[in-house]
Amino acid sequence: MTQSQGQMRETHPAEREVFRYRAEDEDGLFAFSLEGDGATGLDAATTLSIETRQAGEGLCRTEAGRTHHFAWAWVGAELHLWLDGSLWVFQRAETRRRGAGTTTDAPGDILAPMPGAVLEVLVAEGDRVERNQTVVLMESMKMELVITAPRDGVVRRVSVEPGQQVDRGMRLLELGSEGDSENGS
Amino acid sequence: MFSKVLVANRGEIAVRINQTLRAMGIAPVAVFSDADAGALHVATAEQSVALPGNTAEETYLSIDKVVQAARDCGVDAIHPGYGFLSENPAFARACREAQITFIGPTPESMEALGDKLHSKDIAIAAGVPVVPSSPECVPGDAEAEEFVRRWGFPLMVKAAAGGGGRGMRLVNGRRELDADMEAASREARAAFGDGRVFLERYVSNPRHVEIQVLADGNGHTIHLGERECSIQRRHQKIIEETPSPALTPDLRRRMGDAAVAVAVAREAGYVNAGTVEFLLDSRTNEFYFLEMNARLQVEHPITEAVLGLDMVEWQVRIAAGEPLTLRQEDIQPRGHAVECRIYAEDPYHDFVPSTGPLLRWRPPSGPGLRLDSGVHQGQEVSIYYDPMLAKLIAWAPDRESSLRRMDVALSQFLVLGVITNIPLLRSIMGHAQFQRGEYDTGFLEWNPAVTMPMVTDEARDLSRALAAWASSRPVGPVSPTATTDALPSATPWQTAGARRLP
Repeated sequence: MTQSQGQMRETHPAEREVFRYRAEDEDGLFAFSLEGDGATGLDAATTLSIETRQAGEGLCRTEAGRTHHFAWAWVGAELHLWLDGSLWVFQRAETRRRGAGTTTDAPGDILAPMPGAVLEVLVAEGDRVERNQTVVLMESMKMELVITAPRDGVVRRVSVEPGQQVDRGMRLLELGSEGDSENGS
Repeated sequence: MFSKVLVANRGEIAVRINQTLRAMGIAPVAVFSDADAGALHVATAEQSVALPGNTAEETYLSIDKVVQAARDCGVDAIHPGYGFLSENPAFARACREAQITFIGPTPESMEALGDKLHSKDIAIAAGVPVVPSSPECVPGDAEAEEFVRRWGFPLMVKAAAGGGGRGMRLVNGRRELDADMEAASREARAAFGDGRVFLERYVSNPRHVEIQVLADGNGHTIHLGERECSIQRRHQKIIEETPSPALTPDLRRRMGDAAVAVAVAREAGYVNAGTVEFLLDSRTNEFYFLEMNARLQVEHPITEAVLGLDMVEWQVRIAAGEPLTLRQEDIQPRGHAVECRIYAEDPYHDFVPSTGPLLRWRPPSGPGLRLDSGVHQGQEVSIYYDPMLAKLIAWAPDRESSLRRMDVALSQFLVLGVITNIPLLRSIMGHAQFQRGEYDTGFLEWNPAVTMPMVTDEARDLSRALAAWASSRPVGPVSPTATTDALPSATPWQTAGARRLP
């Protein structure tokens, strides 16, 4: 018998709160219960009978006898789960820390929403910007993408230049608040 | 008949054209960018030529490189597919100069029709109604001002050379007008090398219905019925069906006649397959000519499904000088067909394209189903090209059954590694309004719930349990080739590219 516990969060189809769980796995029977804040209050504890048919794919049967077809794969730190025709993406909650290099999710950062190329940077460091003002133009998959400021502020740092290829989640600009000093807040 | 044909395209359409060429006993030749060395359209061709580079401009849009490849391989003809160079008169002319047959209309008719402004004049002359528009204009000039004064907002800004929803913006007020015109112009310049734009009256919530035409070199022109293409996101179609739930037999006949009238207009001089797009006001049953696409259309398979013919085969035969032996009265559609475009994009986050490795790719199969796919398991979905992965087509004797077949098939479509729009397509299939056939191009806008995840608490709990179970396993098959249904990836020949032996 293997016992495990952990924390995960759903990032697709929706961004959801972290959930904590406890599980026991024995002879293809998987007993699972949600804990604490993550519990939905519904069928939070369940036992599934799971059969793996081939690597990365399986059938599971619930206590009520319903069968579900699923498949899974890790894409970097993301677990992609295909279940009865729908896709779910999860991350281990403990793995959700700031990535290396320029990939951050600090509140003042404006991030690339998808991989692509920077066409134009329309602001410079020190510029004052208004909410919804266009700050960067990107191109991805032949579509032009307009990046706007999420709020009023001052451009503290420009992290990209035209022509540069960026990954999803990479910082384009750092936005400070009016009156912020470099070492402030 | 030709013995060797180069397909100047990639993805599902190149694969689909290769298929017909082979069935006709013609050897297909593929061209490919660096990123596509291991792609399916290369694997399904008999011969292939590398076009060094990755961006579309360096590769599939390079007239010189494509024509050179065709010359080097000694092909008789080039099929351009859709997109890329398919509606580029300079390309068709370069083919003609190289004495290679271009499978499509003449450069002259492409020029006449490719310009949306000019094609409207042709329609007007043919007695077909059009949507009012301005001449070519730039922000702030007299033409733009005059148009705004006359028609007001909202209005559309469109690229004269546009297509596929690119270079097109809906403008709600004066404040956005200049910026939208500039953005549309930039997008059009990047996509088509032509930044000219014009303004057009915005017809609110029309249906988008198009008529397929086929014309041979002897002046024989027929239409192959309609395709209803009103389910769109960002002005791009995602679901098409035929017959249209909106057309009465009388309307179908009148729209068919109008489409043929445009195609046979002397200035259009249309030969080969083309599509005449109309906006249809379903309240008044009035229709307006929008444009004529001088190429094979993405959604042509639904026409093939109800007519039992191969459009690419007819394109090739017509280009080879054969007469079109079908008469208008032979065109009797049977049953109902629907197509869903499978895109690598997140329908719940503004349709942001999703890239990554296609770790699992297992399409459904069954009675009445067809898949036109340009991808295989294990390949990387890159940022360089359009995010459409495949088209799924379902046919059945009646509309209700074809929609059901589609929904079941979508629920069995296993894709892992990239996020797709499959759940959105299923939500639409299950939507009562869609099922009643009562929809227009505003469908997604009026039904925002469709673009939100439909998830039961039960399904969410189960997904969490299985996620926990999976994350307690040793990390699964990282390499997609570990699974049984993977295709072999690039051969050494493909990866070696055009390198020569010393």
